Amino acid sequence: MAHSHLARSEKINGWGFVMPALVLIGIFMIYPIVWSLWMSFQTGRGMQLSFGGLANITRLTQDPIFIRALTNTLIFLAIQVPVMLVLALLFANALNDSKLWGRGFFRTAIFLPCVTSLVAYSVIFKSMFAGDGIVNQTLLALNLIDVPIAWLADPFWAKVVIVTAITWRWTGYNMIFYLAAMQNIDRSIYEAARIDGVPAWARFWYLTVPMLKPVILFTSIISTIGTLQLFDEPNLITLGGPSDSTLTLSLYIYNLSFKFMPSFGYAATVSYVIVILVALLSILQFFAVRERRT
Amino acid sequence: MSNPVAFLGRTAQYVLLSIAAFVSVFPFFWMVLGATNTSPDIIRGRIAPGTALFDNIGKFLTQIDLPRVLFNSLFIAGVGSALTLIVASMAGYGFEMFRSRVRERVFSLLLLMLSIPFAALMIPLFIMMANLKLINTYQAIILPSIASIFIIFYFRQATKAFPHELRDAARIDGLKEWQIFFYVYMPVMRSTYAAATIIVFMANWNNYLWPLIVLQTNDMFTMTLAIAALNAGYTPDFGVIMVGAIIATLPTLVIFFLLQRRFVEGMLGAVK
Amino acid sequence: MSGLKLRNVRKSFGTLEVIKGVDLDIEDKQFVVFVGPSGCGKSTLLRMIAGLEEITSGELTIGEKRMNDVDPAQRGIAMVFQSYALYPHMTVRENMGFALRFAGKPKDEIARRVEEAARILELGALLDRKPGQLSGGQRQRVAIGRAIVRHPDVFLFDEPLSNLDAELRVHMRIELARLHKELQTTIIYVTHDQVEAMTLADKIVVLRDGLVEQDGTPLELYDDPSNHFVAGFIGSPKMNFLGGVAEEGGIRLSDFPGQLVPSPVSLDAGTPVTVGIRPEHFSSTGTATLDVAVEIIEHLGGETYAYARGDGPTLLTLATDNDRTLKAGDRYTARFDPGVLLVFDKDGKRLR
Repeated sequence: MAHSHLARSEKINGWGFVMPALVLIGIFMIYPIVWSLWMSFQTGRGMQLSFGGLANITRLTQDPIFIRALTNTLIFLAIQVPVMLVLALLFANALNDSKLWGRGFFRTAIFLPCVTSLVAYSVIFKSMFAGDGIVNQTLLALNLIDVPIAWLADPFWAKVVIVTAITWRWTGYNMIFYLAAMQNIDRSIYEAARIDGVPAWARFWYLTVPMLKPVILFTSIISTIGTLQLFDEPNLITLGGPSDSTLTLSLYIYNLSFKFMPSFGYAATVSYVIVILVALLSILQFFAVRERRT
Repeated sequence: MSNPVAFLGRTAQYVLLSIAAFVSVFPFFWMVLGATNTSPDIIRGRIAPGTALFDNIGKFLTQIDLPRVLFNSLFIAGVGSALTLIVASMAGYGFEMFRSRVRERVFSLLLLMLSIPFAALMIPLFIMMANLKLINTYQAIILPSIASIFIIFYFRQATKAFPHELRDAARIDGLKEWQIFFYVYMPVMRSTYAAATIIVFMANWNNYLWPLIVLQTNDMFTMTLAIAALNAGYTPDFGVIMVGAIIATLPTLVIFFLLQRRFVEGMLGAVK
Repeated sequence: MSGLKLRNVRKSFGTLEVIKGVDLDIEDKQFVVFVGPSGCGKSTLLRMIAGLEEITSGELTIGEKRMNDVDPAQRGIAMVFQSYALYPHMTVRENMGFALRFAGKPKDEIARRVEEAARILELGALLDRKPGQLSGGQRQRVAIGRAIVRHPDVFLFDEPLSNLDAELRVHMRIELARLHKELQTTIIYVTHDQVEAMTLADKIVVLRDGLVEQDGTPLELYDDPSNHFVAGFIGSPKMNFLGGVAEEGGIRLSDFPGQLVPSPVSLDAGTPVTVGIRPEHFSSTGTATLDVAVEIIEHLGGETYAYARGDGPTLLTLATDNDRTLKAGDRYTARFDPGVLLVFDKDGKRLR
């Protein structure tokens, strides 16, 4: 009597609807991530794995290529994410103006890159940054440089190409989030500020930015997750080179597992470095934004 | 524009946006131009239409089994997307319409799992697929992609706008819960489904890393893998690659221009 | 025969009890209105009758059959929702026939019943439109039509008129009364609007905090409320309440300390009481009087209400026999017949 017909039906249906998804997530996410943790304590080659305790972690600290991949990934993160988000915010602010002529055109144009396939655009960028390619030709013609830059052959410039490429691909994507959030802000707030004599830059900095904080948090977390997993662009544009200067953690894991003689245990350890980084940075960003709000 | 400061501001605004728009669109232009040029011309930065278009297309067609590759891509993206939409929308509906404390906990766990990087899954997944003898099959690509947490989250958010009274009315009209889902929820939420279809299809169509690991023979290659294969080696033929890039970009570009609003809605959907 | 009985019906959400033991008998073909302030549990009670909410304990019978665990579709009820809950992707015709389709009725019967309902509600011209193309009043009629086609024993209405504008609301109220006459079925109707309750009901059930305060015909509730709450809830403008203490020979109201008001009931001296009097019970005749200072005058044309005060804080509402000469600031002697006074004890219970 206490749990009648209706309560039972709620229970059965509530689980019924979510069960297919939960089963699939269990098999293809939870099980692998736990397995991967266990594997990270295994050493050996190919399928011949044995328990190695903390051997893989020791190996991490002594592996110059891992250190390189980690450093590269963090450099990409530290430079690319802020640059992209600031650009996205600027573009969104410029577009959030109902009197702007050609607004729809600009918005569509800036958004367009995130329609491309990662592979296709990576290859296009590779061709544009060739030694005598269109980018160097343009910079020479504009007298910005005297000699062509060895974009893909120089460790520093190769990083610049990767950062440029990712920024090109994802700025419009983030901009759309900001634009949508800006359009939800009550316009009369800006009108009140104008009547109070607040200049445009201050309206942006003291009104728009604080009100966008939740979206900025969201975009910075997804961008961080994306950049920490960076794989497609370095693998297609630079293959991690020259001399591992654009090698990322994901690319290193791929190489360890599928390129060389597979070293699954060690690769799993490296992959957990990404897991920990994602978790740490998400928490950090979450608190950074919350701190300033109170 | 009486005010000089306002005039300057407006000018700066147009300059900024024009540069951004130019930089954003130029690679598309470069891609189309490139398809008409020879590879040496492309890497020499030739910025004029060339005469190599048919040559490039011809070479592309001899190096890539286009119908087969297109079929692979469409099949994986199509079937994968359809399954994702059904499974994820059911879950989103279930989490939102049937509230329970345990399920709320499970949902929070799922949200945490959103940040699990694929790199941490790919090795065990690969071994799993190897053990199941699924390497180099469509299933190996489709199965892990079905239960997308992001799409579950998206549907749950969208379901908040689905009126509970409609479900009540349908219950009184004698529909079973699964009938309410199929006959009322799905048609009522069709614009949500449209937006979700676009993002899911695009993600599947553009997927690179996992197919790269699992698909091993040319006859199983997707469009992205085919282009990546053309790109391998020391002197890739960029003219041919551009033809491939156009073919790979076209479907998503067409969807984007036809359904621009849905497209943007889909991307924004989960945040609100 | 589709009378409806509730016996000690309760409902809890977790530890929170929202329906605290309701006993009610509803007769066949009766128009019953559940009325009460928001949060009183009236909608929950309706949803329990519909089968949309579980009955935690107690018993619900419809036409002698226990319905606690019966599926909503099998209870012989139909429901009209506040938001109408029309299926937006279906035409009016499909909306109305939807339940019958899932009940496995043959196509021609569905068509016949839909036509019949459309005729009753004058929806014929709208059958092929979708809800999005209809006005609020039309949607309301479709929602009713969807209920009618099922030939239910009991109609349930959950605040059906609250989304309509004032004019349409009056119109639909009359329509509903006509419909009840034509259909000859039991109707249970939930509203927070006591005017709807008064005009539509054969029987009003006043609810508060999950309990029935009183039930009866509209005039029983108006003339003879059994407690302070019902007295204040039924009637418009609201009844005036004045605090006071019983003395030998009458009641001394704290706002009118200079006089004694004759009590219609016998009271022990020293009993604290609340006295209620309806605005419309004041007039220019009557044996009892209250001297007040007029603060605000409202001219409605057919009636003139004065808002006035004695020597205390209570602002009284008085009907003035349409005395259009009254002005703010006037002194006024309000007269009434002491027999109309209602007296309540300190717990709000009516003293008779």
